[in-house]
This record gives sequence, structure tokens and C-alpha cells, in this order.
Amino acid sequence: MTGTQTKERHWALHKERGSFLLMKFTAFAVRVLGRRALAPVLYLIVLYFFVSGRSARRNVRQYQHRLAHWSGRNELRPHLRSVFGQFMAFAESLLDRLDVWRGKLRLEQVQLVDPGGIRAQLLQSRHGGRGQILIGTHLGNLDVCRAMAELGEQVPLNVLVHNRHVEHFNRLLDEAGDRGLRLIQVSELDTAMMMDLSQRIERGEWLAIAGDRVPLHGGRHAMVNFLGHPAAFPQGPWLLAGLLRCPVNLMCCLKIEGRYRIYLEPFIDAPAWERGQRDAAIKAWMQRYADRLAQQCLQAPQQWFNFYPYWQTIEASDAH
Amino acid sequence: MNDLSQHVSSPQKLQLEIAQLIIDTLNLEDIAAADIPADQPLFGAGLGLDSVDALELALALQKRYEIRIASDSKDARQHFSTIASLAAFVQAQRTACVA
Repeated sequence: MTGTQTKERHWALHKERGSFLLMKFTAFAVRVLGRRALAPVLYLIVLYFFVSGRSARRNVRQYQHRLAHWSGRNELRPHLRSVFGQFMAFAESLLDRLDVWRGKLRLEQVQLVDPGGIRAQLLQSRHGGRGQILIGTHLGNLDVCRAMAELGEQVPLNVLVHNRHVEHFNRLLDEAGDRGLRLIQVSELDTAMMMDLSQRIERGEWLAIAGDRVPLHGGRHAMVNFLGHPAAFPQGPWLLAGLLRCPVNLMCCLKIEGRYRIYLEPFIDAPAWERGQRDAAIKAWMQRYADRLAQQCLQAPQQWFNFYPYWQTIEASDAH
Repeated sequence: MNDLSQHVSSPQKLQLEIAQLIIDTLNLEDIAAADIPADQPLFGAGLGLDSVDALELALALQKRYEIRIASDSKDARQHFSTIASLAAFVQAQRTACVA
């Protein structure tokens, strides 16, 4: 699968060019023009990325095709409009992100779907409870973390990120005057990092990490079935959960009928593995997660914001 | 176990305690603390632990002895090579903490 195709670029590199430039530009334009006036401009920008981004187009098609096939829902099959729609949805989410970070998207405007009472647990952490892990996704708006930080009131939320984009984002956040969240760069789990995270959990702080992207240079990952085909998912979040022995919850923020809806659900109460069964245990969680993610894709099919070749195999040399 | 950890005097005692901690933390079944030679390599061919086990172990050691393990430096890897080296490291850290 790897050799025959043209060399696919990793998502982190895509992001470098596309999303960050676009975001920076829109941040500037929104400030100058206001959001409504910007809409036609945005349309043109997206059109440009749509026309020039051949591989991104192909990747979106592939995703839509697999989602349609996997779910048996014919209306989800890709066509020009639906592919463009996914680009537009992404652009819109970028605008929303700016609003979120500038505090323009108020908590009251966001609907919370939390049947498992996770917010209550978050609030309990203020009074001596242990922290927990939140697994986020690039389906929908990942910056829901910002809203989560508000939901948790004074509970510190640490967002673990893989790469050097931390600086980019911190810069944007600084510009937006936001210093409420902590972004922690985790390139590899070493003892010092584990101890730091473990102490945070004991102090009642929460950790948020994305569960659907394998970091640059491979990182620890395993192949699981996603929408009917093997895809590489990161092992890191699950490893972390098992090592820290703290509950894992899923969070997802989708725009449904023009409004954001945050879905929180408990996922693993007490992650642990038997001796010698670690990889199997982690893989089972990962598969269950991929299955759940696939279900969630059906709720907002066009908000899948992974524009890189999602089902590419990762070079063996990168594996641990 | 707790009574043991209160007043550890001899290196052997601490080594045994750490061996037990390894067994408990990593769920090593069918092995007794006394069965692990203090100079047997913990990783690779010896006891067969891996890098994730090391992280788990580091967390357990930190909790039990309230020591700090700085990072994944070469030093840290040295400390984790055998039970004897771990015991020496814990002892040194404790002395440093008290002093």
C-alpha cells in the first residue's frame, strides 16, 4: 500500500501549510472585516484550497466513500458538493474556533450532552478528587477543550499535544488574550513526563488528548479497523490511562443544526491490563474507540477534519 | 509490607522490598521477591521488562519512596538496570531528600 502511491505527506506537514496559514489569515480578516463580511472571502479561500488541494480532495472522497459503504447509507456517497462541503465545514469550524478563543461563543450557546454525569465529576475534582482523561477527536471542533475548561470552572485542564504547533497555538491564544488552558507538549512518554502527569492527576487536574491521530515520526500506534479498513491509531492515550490508572472519557463537539453540541461519555472506568496482555488490552480499547468514532461520524459526516490519507500504513521503521 | 518500608536498614532489605514492589506493580505471577537475583538485568533478556514497565515502575517507586526520577537520561537507565542499582538509587535519593 505504501510503495506504489505517491509519497503521502504526514498530517502535521499538511497542517503547517494549510490550516495554520488559513487560520492566521482568517484571524486577521475577521478582526478587520467582521465575520459576516468575511463569508464570501472565506468561500473563495476554501475554493482555492479545494481546487489546489488534490490529495486532500482525494482523501475526503475516500473517507466519505468508506463511511457510506460501512454504514450502508447511500446518500453519504461522495460527490463534488459533498466533498466541497467538508472543506467548507472545516473553514467554518476555523471561524468558530476563533470565536471560541476570543470568548465570543458563550457557554450558554453550547448544548451539553452528558448522560454519564462527567461534568459533575469534573467539578468534584476541585474538592480533592483525582483527575481523569478526556479523549478528543478531530471529528468536529477540538477546541471544545476551551469550553470544557469553562465547564470545569477552576479545574485545570491540560491539553497534551504532540508537536511544535504548540507555539503557533500559544501565540494565537496570547493574541486572543487567553491563558486559561495549559498546552503541554508530549513528544514521548518518558519518566519525567509520566511523573509530572501523574502528579497532576493526583492534584485533581484533568488531561485532554486526541485519540485519532498518530504523531509525527510514527510514535506508538497500532492498526485497528475504522470504517471497514485498517487504520493506524495512537496507543499513547490508552497507555497513559493504564499507567495513570484513571478513568477515561470521550468528548466530541459537533455542530448540529448550527449549534455546537458537546458530547461527553464515560469510556473506561478503571483501565488496567494483565501481565503480558498489555498490547491486547490496549488494542481492544482502541478498536472500541474506533467503532465509537465511526458511529459519531454518522452524526456529522462532513465534520471529519482529518484531510490527510487516514488509512495509510505507517512505515515499519517508525514503529516502536 | 508497610512495616517493612518504615525502617529499612540493610541494603538487602531494601532490595527485597523493591523486588516485591516490582512484582506487585507489574503483576508478575509465580515469582517471589527472593527469586529475583539482585544483579539480574530487569530488562531485555533478564526479567524481560520493557520501556512501559519501566514507566509503571518509576511511578510506583515515586509513590512509595517519594523520590524524584529526573528524566530518561542515561543515568536513569543505569539506575533501572538491576534491583541492586535501583536500591542504591532509592537509598541515595532518600538520603538526599532528608539532608
